[in-house]
Amino acid sequence: MEYRLRLAKRMLFNKKGSLIGAVLAVTIGILVIHVNFVIFQGLFDAIVRDISNYRNGDILVTDEADYIDKSDLSVVSWFERIPYVEAATPRLSSTAEMNMTKNGKLIEETRVPIVGIDPFRDIKASTVHETIADGSYVFSRNSIVLGSNVARDLGGAEVGDSVKVLVVDRFGQDEVRRFTVSGIAKSPGGQGFDYTAVIHIDTLRDMMSRHGETGSFMVKLNDPTKAFEVKEFFLRSFPNDDFLAETIEESAEEQLAGFRSGIAMINMIGYFGMMSSAFAIVTIQMMLVNGKTREIGVMRSIGAKRKDILIIFIFQGMIIGAIGAGVGTAAGLGYTFYAKETKMSFNNSLPLEVSYNWEKIIQTALTSFILAIIASLYPSYRATKLLPVEAMRTV
Amino acid sequence: MTKVYGEGENKVKALDDATLSVEQGEIALIVGSSGSGKSTLLNMIGLLDRPTSGKIYIDGIDTTTLDDNKISSFRNKKLGFIFQFSNLLTDLTVLENVLLPRQIAGTNNNAEKEARDLLKAVGLEDQMNKRANKISGGQAQRAAIARGLINKPSIVLADEPTGNLDSVTSNTIVQLMKSMAKKLNQTFVIVTHDRQHFGDVDKVITIKDGKAFSGDMPSEMEVLAK
Repeated sequence: MEYRLRLAKRMLFNKKGSLIGAVLAVTIGILVIHVNFVIFQGLFDAIVRDISNYRNGDILVTDEADYIDKSDLSVVSWFERIPYVEAATPRLSSTAEMNMTKNGKLIEETRVPIVGIDPFRDIKASTVHETIADGSYVFSRNSIVLGSNVARDLGGAEVGDSVKVLVVDRFGQDEVRRFTVSGIAKSPGGQGFDYTAVIHIDTLRDMMSRHGETGSFMVKLNDPTKAFEVKEFFLRSFPNDDFLAETIEESAEEQLAGFRSGIAMINMIGYFGMMSSAFAIVTIQMMLVNGKTREIGVMRSIGAKRKDILIIFIFQGMIIGAIGAGVGTAAGLGYTFYAKETKMSFNNSLPLEVSYNWEKIIQTALTSFILAIIASLYPSYRATKLLPVEAMRTV
Repeated sequence: MTKVYGEGENKVKALDDATLSVEQGEIALIVGSSGSGKSTLLNMIGLLDRPTSGKIYIDGIDTTTLDDNKISSFRNKKLGFIFQFSNLLTDLTVLENVLLPRQIAGTNNNAEKEARDLLKAVGLEDQMNKRANKISGGQAQRAAIARGLINKPSIVLADEPTGNLDSVTSNTIVQLMKSMAKKLNQTFVIVTHDRQHFGDVDKVITIKDGKAFSGDMPSEMEVLAK
């Protein structure tokens, strides 16, 4: 083994306290970044996942004219012949006034978002049906699913209760229907339809006097990375229609923009943490240099050049960086694995969407390794400045 | 050569126009009382420090003109050091310590065998794989002698090599240096304040108040000083 590397290793490993301290500094720096990533990127991805699963799909098709007048069947069939598409489903949205009598008391709610869905197609393209905490999903023309918050605001509506719903149709006329509550929807983190009511799309079309019209199509892909490709193909295929098609990134951009800058800031904080660990390495290595002053003098007296001393202490930085990066990455991966396997969430809120971002993992490890080397430069330089005759006087 | 430390009123002349020469294969003792300047002189010869004025020639080379890198190479190839406290690197084994000057020189051919032979010659064949801090002071000093000789230097410089040892071990070290000098035709320049330990040597240089005098008779030195 190269003698300078051997010396660097021995000097470092014989000062176990310093080695552990320096390695811990790097490890903690990396771990902070991993934990930040798991939590904040996981939260971001969870929001994207839920927006995609509950509302927008991987591609959301709308129309410049607010409503799509092409038949459900033709649009859904067009999408479902593409191998990348798992399912497509039509949706129609409006707002409603609702009331119900509970314990002899009439309770009214206004401006409740209401969504019309196709019960057979929706369960293939969306996971809203999985958020039914009580009862079942919409199954008939007069059944309604209430979001848990809507149910609460209606005085604690339960499955089987009767709810009166008023929707203003396209001509400004009030259209009132009575529905039976088939289920209560409650999603972790509230990203689902907790503030919304869900009914059969044909019922809502009737109430809005929009027969054969659709508000949007939610398209779910089996390979979300093909979203842009499918979207472009769709728009090219219907050049004479006024369709708008957006991928999840585009359709959720407004909701996610603030979050993105939040993540960027948290990452910055993480990297500042890593910088702090670099300062810890500088301090520890300065202690190592001070503790080895006599040895440096001896080496210089038997012919070691300043360059050799510099290399020995830079090797130490590399060893600290390599071990720290290894341990930190292992600890970070362990935490990521734990978060993924346990579907980590905070206070039963949104379960994090944890993923292994190998590019980021490698980038973090490399950054900390390089920072450890940079942190060792000044102590190494200081070591080269020691005069042999002065250094050997140190006991 | 002259060596002055400090400036102005704090100026101290550690060496005052000291002149000496040592021939190949000689054992030269530098003696003198504490603070006389003998270690300063050795540091100058060993290129660990630079004289304020004057020249130092080793193997005909004016070492005062060399830059830091060349001085390091020169120290590595032409000079061997034995210090009062052996100054072995405690992170390395005895063998690794002896090998170190050769590894710094980058000439590893046959180095391990030569290091083992040297350690055998100084009686440390059964200690060579021990960590340097696990052997006695006398053994460490013997290892330091082996380290000082591994690159076959022009001069071995020893600064109080027995200063930290008991008298029995000191005698062993002195005899070892003498026998190695004879066996390898090796030049030794030894700083000591313990003249009698060394018995007959080729040359004695006495340092007093920074000046160098040939011979070790105090009366003779005093005469010269006057």
